[in-house]
Amino acid sequence: MSEQDQFRELIEGYALGALDASERAMLEAHLAAGCPECAKALEEARFLVSQLAYLAPPAEPSEMLKARLMRTVRAEQSAARPTTTPSRGASIPYWLWAGVAALLLLSAYSTWDARRLQKEVQEVKARAAAELKHRQQLEQELTEAKHEAWILTDPSSKKIDIMPNDKEMPMLQATWHPELGIYITGQKMPMPKGNKVLQLWLIPKKAGAKPMPSHTFWPDASGKIREMVDDPPEVMAQTKALAITEEPEGGSQQPTSTPMWVGGVS
Amino acid sequence: MTSKYGDGVSSDATLVERLLHRDVSAFEELYDRHSRIVYALVVRILQQAPTAEEVCQDVFLQLWRNAALYQSARGPFVPWLLTLARNRALDHLRLKSERQRRREDQTEELPAIAQAPEYEKALDEKRRAERIRSLIGTLSAPQKKAIEMAYFEGLSHSEIANALHEPLGTVKSWIRNGLLRLKEGLQTAS
Repeated sequence: MSEQDQFRELIEGYALGALDASERAMLEAHLAAGCPECAKALEEARFLVSQLAYLAPPAEPSEMLKARLMRTVRAEQSAARPTTTPSRGASIPYWLWAGVAALLLLSAYSTWDARRLQKEVQEVKARAAAELKHRQQLEQELTEAKHEAWILTDPSSKKIDIMPNDKEMPMLQATWHPELGIYITGQKMPMPKGNKVLQLWLIPKKAGAKPMPSHTFWPDASGKIREMVDDPPEVMAQTKALAITEEPEGGSQQPTSTPMWVGGVS
Repeated sequence: MTSKYGDGVSSDATLVERLLHRDVSAFEELYDRHSRIVYALVVRILQQAPTAEEVCQDVFLQLWRNAALYQSARGPFVPWLLTLARNRALDHLRLKSERQRRREDQTEELPAIAQAPEYEKALDEKRRAERIRSLIGTLSAPQKKAIEMAYFEGLSHSEIANALHEPLGTVKSWIRNGLLRLKEGLQTAS
């Protein structure tokens, strides 16, 4: 296979965003070198990939979304509407020259001032957009924090100690709310080696049933774990234990290693 | 055959041009035309209607505020908009499910060029949707699954191979051959 063929084989995966980092870097270097065939193939592949959107089941947004958008758009249009300059008369009496000169000066000043104001409005809008984005992030974090606090304090939640097999390792704690999910916390956790991740498993009570895969996660830089599992694959009443293993990046459908932590649910 | 799609491209481009002059009615027209497919895509990725509406709002506001970023000479509008919507939805998905994970962001802030091939320019949107749905049905189940995981879940070849317990090379072939088959199907059908 020629080198060109090798690059062509990467085009569809690149358009889909599915290449791994090394392949992506290799193809981007090739494209940057100016290969017209691959550039053309990539444009077509991007178009083809965009058409996969039509595989989504039909769905309609609510009327409220349109109403919200139109309100925002109209408000922004009003804010950005340029200042109109008053029209001047076609002729000016000689004795009004001084007045006309003053008007011209005023007009020039108005134009300059309008531009300045427009620039300020644009800057304010840019700042407002950044603030809005920041606020949305904070709101999302707040929602998540409330969710976690509810799970931790609700009387119907069950606390589960997840004990390590290795005594040198720290203990984890899970709090399971029957409706809101499982919140796992831990400290002083070592980072999994290589490309491994930690993966949570739910061990069903039913004899012979296989462990059910759940979230994959990592400790943060300080070794803390705060993982919210809002969609456990099994209900609490049918779960015997929680287990955590190290798995390859992306997680596994079946455990590929012995559990490093286990906690009995009931 | 009347080229509805071709007319649509022209009209979309004109409407986007009017957005540059803060034309609210042009924005409303673009929203009415394309909000359904944008929302359907975003809700398929995020699986939650309220979050999908937030992301849709974000996509259309970006269009309103940065209409100049779309250039009609460089490709049709709808693929550009759909790519923007997919990127935003996948960003949101990753933020939610992988907020502890430090990783390189693979998503582009704005879509790149997506040039419609000649065989595609004559198709209207409804027929294209019917055709792509029909063609995906001709792929094998694993091919379809792998393509959907890559497109709707934003997973890489390696992640899909891990999730499906299949060799990496097999997954790459499924996806590439599947996409090429879709392309051939579209060419043949036009």
